[in-house]
Amino acid sequence: MKGRLAVGVVALGVAAAVPLVAGQHLLTAFIVALHAAYMALAWNVAAGYAGQFSLGHSLFYGIGAYASTMLYLKLGLTPWVGMFAGAALAGVVGVLLALGVYRYNVRGIFFALVTLGAAEVAKGLADNWHWIKGPVGILLTMKAAPAEFFFLRREPYYYVALAMVVAMVAISLVLERSRLGQHFLAVREDEAAAEASGVDTHRAKTVAIGLSAALTAFAGSFYAQFYLYVSPETVLTFEPQLTMMLGTMVGGAGTALGPVLGSVLFSGLGEALRNLPFENTRQVVIGSKLVYAILLIVILIYLPGGLITLGRRRA
Amino acid sequence: MIGLDVVVQALLSGLFMGSVYALIAIGFTLVFGVTDIVNFAHGHLVMAAMFVTYFLFKTAHLDPYLSLVVVLPLFFGVGALLYVLVIQRIVEAPHSAHMMVTLGLLLVFENLANLFFGGDLRGITTKYTTSSFVMGPVAVPLARLGAAVVSLLAVAVLGVFLARTTLGKAIRASANNREGAALVGVNVPRVYLVSFSLGTMAAALAGAVIVPFSLVSPFVGHEFILKAFVIAVLGGLGSVPGALAGGLLIGFVEALSSLYISASLGNAIVFAILIAVLLYRPWGIFGQAKV
Amino acid sequence: MSALLAVRGVSKRFGGLQALSNVTFGVDHREIVGIIGPNGAGKTTLFNVITGVYAPDLGRVELRGMDVTGWAPHRICRLGAARTFQIGKPFAALSVLQTVRIGALNRIDSMAGATARALEVLELVGLAGKRDDLGRHLTVIERKRLELARALATGPALLLLDEVAAGLRPNEIQEMIALVRRIAAGGVSVLIIEHVLEAVMRLSARRGVPGRGLHACLKSRASRWRTATCACSTT
Repeated sequence: MKGRLAVGVVALGVAAAVPLVAGQHLLTAFIVALHAAYMALAWNVAAGYAGQFSLGHSLFYGIGAYASTMLYLKLGLTPWVGMFAGAALAGVVGVLLALGVYRYNVRGIFFALVTLGAAEVAKGLADNWHWIKGPVGILLTMKAAPAEFFFLRREPYYYVALAMVVAMVAISLVLERSRLGQHFLAVREDEAAAEASGVDTHRAKTVAIGLSAALTAFAGSFYAQFYLYVSPETVLTFEPQLTMMLGTMVGGAGTALGPVLGSVLFSGLGEALRNLPFENTRQVVIGSKLVYAILLIVILIYLPGGLITLGRRRA
Repeated sequence: MIGLDVVVQALLSGLFMGSVYALIAIGFTLVFGVTDIVNFAHGHLVMAAMFVTYFLFKTAHLDPYLSLVVVLPLFFGVGALLYVLVIQRIVEAPHSAHMMVTLGLLLVFENLANLFFGGDLRGITTKYTTSSFVMGPVAVPLARLGAAVVSLLAVAVLGVFLARTTLGKAIRASANNREGAALVGVNVPRVYLVSFSLGTMAAALAGAVIVPFSLVSPFVGHEFILKAFVIAVLGGLGSVPGALAGGLLIGFVEALSSLYISASLGNAIVFAILIAVLLYRPWGIFGQAKV
Repeated sequence: MSALLAVRGVSKRFGGLQALSNVTFGVDHREIVGIIGPNGAGKTTLFNVITGVYAPDLGRVELRGMDVTGWAPHRICRLGAARTFQIGKPFAALSVLQTVRIGALNRIDSMAGATARALEVLELVGLAGKRDDLGRHLTVIERKRLELARALATGPALLLLDEVAAGLRPNEIQEMIALVRRIAAGGVSVLIIEHVLEAVMRLSARRGVPGRGLHACLKSRASRWRTATCACSTT
């Protein structure tokens, strides 16, 4: 236990020192990786721990991105606060979705398809909603306004992303050691046996989706502030969902560090390649995606618990 | 006000595309019904067949319909290979693994296509690409008519195959009850292999016949898989007749909604229907509840 | 004093199959009641109705004097009736300790307290040495013991055991019988359904009061209806 704590502190120290040595390009790659790790961990709360394999988390990501952005543009509310409003809204939407879905006992593959459908509906609505500028999307202006979550340099974004990941890992670890977290696991493993053990499975699933949705929304707000652009094509497509799933499944679903490992490997390396001055960048990026996809399949077949189980086996 | 002739024209185009969608969805639903695997890469198999057909036309000047002689066996083989290399190893795994692995296959196809052919939209022009004949108030586009006829023929052949042949019956038996089928001597692994290959071939056939009037890029697969989901769910996941009806329905809905509302809103409505069906009638709107 | 469990005129039909027809019986405090019947007699359906998996078409289920008909399974578990599953349902990817701890969290809020309780129960059922094994790696008897431990850890007043002896070897059946007796001796009532006649008979015969208390009629398909043999004892 103490050893693990020491490793954690050292890792955190190294992570905190990255901006001192990394250039802006490389730092961008790290930010993207941390952002992906955070998203993966947030999805992991529902999918990894509670076994609710949602394919519609882009919906919550999008809610976060649009909520903080619209609150800032229309009411002048700083995104530092607006992101919490977005999280609350996403949490409510998640709970409502869960209540509807579980009322009709939708499970497994059907649950996945319903959530996928929900995100597609949201994208269609966003495309036709003029108030949020439809498919054109919303551009934010680059400026130096730390109180409003705008920075000119990469370093502050890096530290925000790092803090989010650290907080999310902490939340995952607390969850693992809590009654609620144990209930999530029971639901994931077998709902009938969970009920027979006194677990209110409907409540546990609803809480899992709501919590996971709210946490995912923070990532959306971060995206908006980092890229300064929000549109249905960027935040409400399957792309954010895919990022969450890849990192989680490759690293290890239902663990606090697996999704970080998987995300850093996938998103981080991809982004690093994109930003390095190769002769033929396009080919390299696509080629690396191809390699990842093959890696994903191989890992899922031969290491269904994810890369994290490699370390565990040795320990 | 939109005139009646325009509506009829739209219905006709809905019928044609609906037939193609039905074939794609039947491949998807057959695989699910038998192996219990939701193949996210199914739409990308359509895309792959479109590219093969495109290049056969560009390089060997082979007409898309003639190229079926190459495309169909090739993709039966691709399906078999995918099954042996990948799918077979995850059949017993949970649904989440099915979804992730087939998503992985989707990414493999997409990036392979992107790596070799680039992301541009490409199309071909055959002698009949823009031909049509006038029938009463509407113009019947030849290329689309051909695609629909071939698709419906394929659906019919598949239906007869499943209903009449020994192998077809074995496939249906395995879809109903895996253990039961194994007990009465069905070679279940072989049935899985054949079903997956047939599903792949159905996707490939649909891909080939739409090439004369459709543009292809590495990313067109997404649209097809989303359609296949919706149709298969409407018809009841695993139901072949349901997928046929669902395909035609979605063809009509798509064609009509394009007259009245934007495509993105039409998409949202289709998915709202999907959600409603999944909640209220998870066995599909045409199917019957299993007791 | 009212009965711990009272099943009153319960009927349940699935399509054309009348699984339960007007079943009435009760279990008192500190009692072991056995229901014997062949497969298909509706035994497991009876358990499912008592524990809230299905609501009965007709009739009522009362537990500790409360009408629990139609309650969700977890509420019935909280009120004090815990069941095992015939086909052991271990949490495949969780350890033995984790599984039993989830049961213990039914009554104990703190993780430390639940862990301590789970270890006690594992000691009792003889799985303490397997605490870190995953559910999916257990043998049949270990699964049955784990099922028992998980149910027991929820702190039930009534333990419902679904075929705990089925699939076990004779010596394992002996061990299981001894274990159930130990649990009952701790003050837990037990309702046991079994088609291994011997297991039930032994459990009761030892107490020497066979044939008292229970008269449950479990009707199955067509003409094959059975009067469940009763075997009960007062400890």
